[in-house]
Amino acid sequence: MMVSTDPMHQFKIEKLFDLKIGGLDVSFTTSAMWMVIGVLLLIGFLAWATSKMSTVPGRAQSLAEIWYGFIAGIVKDVNHAPGKPFIPLVFSLFSFIFIANLIGMMPYFFTTTSHIAVTGFMAIFTISLVVVVGLMKKGLGFFKIFVPSGVPVVLLFIVTPIEIISFLSRPISLGMRLFANMLGGHVALKVFAGFVPSLAVALGGIGMLMGGLLVMPLIVGVTALEFLVAFLQAYVFAMLTCVYLNDALGEAH
Amino acid sequence: MSDDDLNKRIAKAQAEIDARERPKYMGSGKGMGLGFRMASDFAAAVIVGVILGLGIDALFKVSPWGVVICLLLGFVAGVRNVVATAMKANQAPETGDKKGEGDSA
Repeated sequence: MMVSTDPMHQFKIEKLFDLKIGGLDVSFTTSAMWMVIGVLLLIGFLAWATSKMSTVPGRAQSLAEIWYGFIAGIVKDVNHAPGKPFIPLVFSLFSFIFIANLIGMMPYFFTTTSHIAVTGFMAIFTISLVVVVGLMKKGLGFFKIFVPSGVPVVLLFIVTPIEIISFLSRPISLGMRLFANMLGGHVALKVFAGFVPSLAVALGGIGMLMGGLLVMPLIVGVTALEFLVAFLQAYVFAMLTCVYLNDALGEAH
Repeated sequence: MSDDDLNKRIAKAQAEIDARERPKYMGSGKGMGLGFRMASDFAAAVIVGVILGLGIDALFKVSPWGVVICLLLGFVAGVRNVVATAMKANQAPETGDKKGEGDSA
């Protein structure tokens, strides 16, 4: 009983087989397996949907087109023309996070995005890309984002550290939000679901009735909310990638 | 030349489609996303402030001043993040349909 209602048990990573390269533990884990499954699902679906291209799209093709158009729309809205080369990147990030979140919603499946190692890496990658692209496009002028124009020189000593902290907070905010939302959502689901057996054990038949009538609708609601969050977090991640890329692409402000 | 003309016509048609279709599936959830953003932006800035402060303390042996100052700066940066996000969100509806070049804000 204890193991089945432990809300953190679902996040445990287990090794599928041991693998050591140069003293480093690179074993294939459940987390890695679900990531691979997610990527294969994505590639498989998109390849299948775009294999029979026609002018009047069928169901799968139009789903793929709406999917792509949604992301392309975000990038165009935020970055305008210079953002065009980054549409595939933002599309990949969004799709991977979305499919990983959705896989996590299935019972007994593993949520890879509930681990900060995964989300944190994606966030650090995104911000590193912003810095690299910014340095390539603007050279050292990129660092002007830390020195807002039109600020008195005296205030710059305070404003610049604030801007730097604000910039450094981006990868943490980006990675933490996704990780915390997925972790929190799944813990909440598990805890609410755990009420049913707990009530049944504590109060017998009345407890089972209460669990069924009071707790089950709540779980259904929370599950629906989690599906919304799964999409929303992927959307927010994609959106913020565009917003941050703007620092590298747009002109100084 | 005709390429330019075509691009203009595509942009115009796209804008019309956007105006018609976008609100249908974009409206909901946007506010919730904004809320998540603000909350974590604020928290992240404070965390970065503390980490920076601890680092400065360890490097220059000025404990506890690094943490004190950087924590305060972190709070300020967090508030700045939230205010900037809120201001951008308020601006968006008015400047959204203009789509001028260079409105990087």
